[in-house]
Amino acid sequence: MKTLSIDFLLKETPSAIALVDTKLNFINYSTQWQINFTSSKINLIGEQLFNIISERPILFDKAIQSGLDGKENSNDGQKFILPSGKVQWLKWKISPWKNDENTLSGLMIFLEDITVDKKEIELLHKMESVSRVGGWEVDLQKNTLYWTQTTKDIHEVDEDFIPDLSQGLNFYKEGIHREKITRLVGSAIEEGKPFDTELIIQTAKGNEIWVRAKGEIETMNDNVIRIIGTFQDIDQRKKLELAHKEISQRLKIATQTTQIGIWEYDLKKNNLVWDDEMYKIFGINKNEISGIFEAWESTLHPDDKERALIATNDAINGVKDFDEEFRIKLQDGSIRHIKGLSKTIENLNGEAVKMTGANWDITELRSTELRLERSRDSFTETFDNATIGMALVALNGAWIKANNSLCKSLGYTEKEILKLTFQELTHPNDLYTDLELLNEVVEGKRESYQLEKRFFHKKGQLVHVILTVTVVRAINGGISHFIAQAVDITARIETEKKLNSLLEVTKSQNESLMNFAHIVSHNLRSHSTNMTMLSKFLTVEEDENERKNINGMITNAAESLAETIAHLNDVVQVKTGTLENLKRISVLNTLRQIQKSIEGLLDEQNAILKIDVPKSHFVSAVPAYLESIFLNILTNALKYSAKDRTPVIEIKSKVKKENILITFSDNGQGIDLKRHGDKIFGMYKTFHQHKDAKGIGLFITKNQIEAMSGNIRIESIVNQGTTIFIELKQS
Amino acid sequence: MKNVKVCCIIDDDPIFIYGTKRIIKEVDFAKKVIVYNNGQEAVDGLKEIIKEQGLLPDVIFLDLNMPIMNGWEFLDEYKNCRHDKSKKTIIYIISSSVDPRDLERVKNYKQVDDYILKPITPGDLAKILRETKV
Repeated sequence: MKTLSIDFLLKETPSAIALVDTKLNFINYSTQWQINFTSSKINLIGEQLFNIISERPILFDKAIQSGLDGKENSNDGQKFILPSGKVQWLKWKISPWKNDENTLSGLMIFLEDITVDKKEIELLHKMESVSRVGGWEVDLQKNTLYWTQTTKDIHEVDEDFIPDLSQGLNFYKEGIHREKITRLVGSAIEEGKPFDTELIIQTAKGNEIWVRAKGEIETMNDNVIRIIGTFQDIDQRKKLELAHKEISQRLKIATQTTQIGIWEYDLKKNNLVWDDEMYKIFGINKNEISGIFEAWESTLHPDDKERALIATNDAINGVKDFDEEFRIKLQDGSIRHIKGLSKTIENLNGEAVKMTGANWDITELRSTELRLERSRDSFTETFDNATIGMALVALNGAWIKANNSLCKSLGYTEKEILKLTFQELTHPNDLYTDLELLNEVVEGKRESYQLEKRFFHKKGQLVHVILTVTVVRAINGGISHFIAQAVDITARIETEKKLNSLLEVTKSQNESLMNFAHIVSHNLRSHSTNMTMLSKFLTVEEDENERKNINGMITNAAESLAETIAHLNDVVQVKTGTLENLKRISVLNTLRQIQKSIEGLLDEQNAILKIDVPKSHFVSAVPAYLESIFLNILTNALKYSAKDRTPVIEIKSKVKKENILITFSDNGQGIDLKRHGDKIFGMYKTFHQHKDAKGIGLFITKNQIEAMSGNIRIESIVNQGTTIFIELKQS
Repeated sequence: MKNVKVCCIIDDDPIFIYGTKRIIKEVDFAKKVIVYNNGQEAVDGLKEIIKEQGLLPDVIFLDLNMPIMNGWEFLDEYKNCRHDKSKKTIIYIISSSVDPRDLERVKNYKQVDDYILKPITPGDLAKILRETKV
């Protein structure tokens, strides 16, 4: 009965219990065992244990063996795979049983299904590893430290690593991290203070990671007996946080240094927040205002207020982001230009929740822009309307822009000029100097230069300018282009030339006047001394014939004196004759007139007069002078004709620039110009032995011609003939 | 007072020649007087004398302003045609010119002894005789 009831009890127990003999053959077993390890209801008695549990942990085999050795063995749970394929965590207890003779009869095997518990632990572990939150426990009574698997994972140590307390602390990074955890753990133990901190540990593999360590205290009788905590890998979050902090810091520095004010407006809570820069920009004292928006509104310049408020409203209502420039009036009365931008921030559902924006002071920019605009305007104005020539010239010498004055000076339209280069228009003799100076500018030796140079006018004539070239630098410091300013001094140069020639004439006239004065004094003196001498002789002379002779000589001297004075008068008249009496006179007509008046002389010598003068040649002259000049030259030609040949006089005329050039060529005696060249037009200079030679004709002729702004020149070969060139202004 | 053998007047003014000749006679300045009317005539005449080994003048009275060849040109020419350096000819420039440029120019002609302003006087001739005696 006893056996039966035990059998029954064994059969019906809800646990898997089996009784095996020393050969591990089943003697008895519970129903639960059969359910667990067999698929059918076959009788297990006499079957071998290992045949029934084929998939089993090695530890189980060892446990059976130690049981057979007479030792009891238990295990908290191992993984078994049942014949059905199901995984089961089983806790076992194996007890040897003995018969009455105290010899080993077999083993009692007790298996308890702990799969559910195990699964929870496994899940927890999974959770831990996913969330990277591990656990730990310090048992202060046993002075041990326990780490969960995840905690071990975070430390990057092996599964079977068993840390002690000091080892655990040594994982924290040397320095402030280790000091802090040591302090926290210390005060937890001694004062029962929980902690929650974020520090860096150095893992077994040498990686540095941020962790969050949290410790709670368990006490018994006021003594701390245990610290239980979590250990979380927060490396990524911490790093993000630090990075964010750094970025925020950087942004803060940036906004501060660039003086950009940032604001945020919470649309839900209707709350506006300004950073410090905003207060600075708007000149508002944080502590003196009741509402930021109102304060802001009060600073707005009356002219810009409406626009700014509408834009604000539009931004709040989501019509359009704020993007405006507006003026504000600070408390000190100064006006500042502000640029404002806003952006609406939406939540995940696409709902506008916040607005954020930036404002900065653009007064400097604005005023610089204004100044720039003004300076550009005034430059353009100056450029266009300047009376001096101005141009922008590229580095290669191409014209970029040329103003009216320059175009006018050079005779081109701007369109034409822009197709040409500086070099093409420059006189070749001035190009080198110009380029040399330009090069010095390019090399940075000078910023500008000035020179007097010549350009070619479109029509070919020279244009004299004073050129000033200034460099315009690009932002990078290189040369952008040149500004050329050209003052047209052609008129001045021409005037200068005229003035010089006038000066030359004046100088020579002055000289001739001086000579004239001396000649006059000489001649007058010689006549007067002669007369003095003769009269002295007369007073002492007694011979009547000699007295007559002397008297005759005195008369001659007196006549000569009168003649000299007459010459003097002629010359003075020419000298005082002005250009006001100039008239338009036909060269040909005047010549014909003279020809008529010297007909007798011409006939006397059988002279031939050839006149080849166009009717169209008119000169600007004093009629009496022109007649006198022609008469003088023609009579000279006849007077000094060669005795052995028929005198031939040819008169020609042609246009030479603004003048008419009249040439008188004869075949007469000629004159040695090497000897007399410098005196030919001098007063009282005679070169031939001729009874009528007075040395006054050519002197007066030259003076008359010069008085009419003309010039006279002579070419002659002794015994071949003389050519006289007269230039007079064309009329 | 010893007079000069030959005196030469180079001048284009007949009245001056007349007057000078008269004064020479008056003070018995020279035994013989030669007259040329301009530089060219003088050069030609004096060359002829040299050629014929005649008596060259001891004293020349030279005018400056003359046609064909003036006094300056004569001085240049005459310098070239004289080879016989043994006998020195004394040259006086006799002119009406008070032009300082002429006076300055005289200094450039070493062979010119003095510059006498017209008219020539008996005193001038006496002075010349005194000086040439030395």
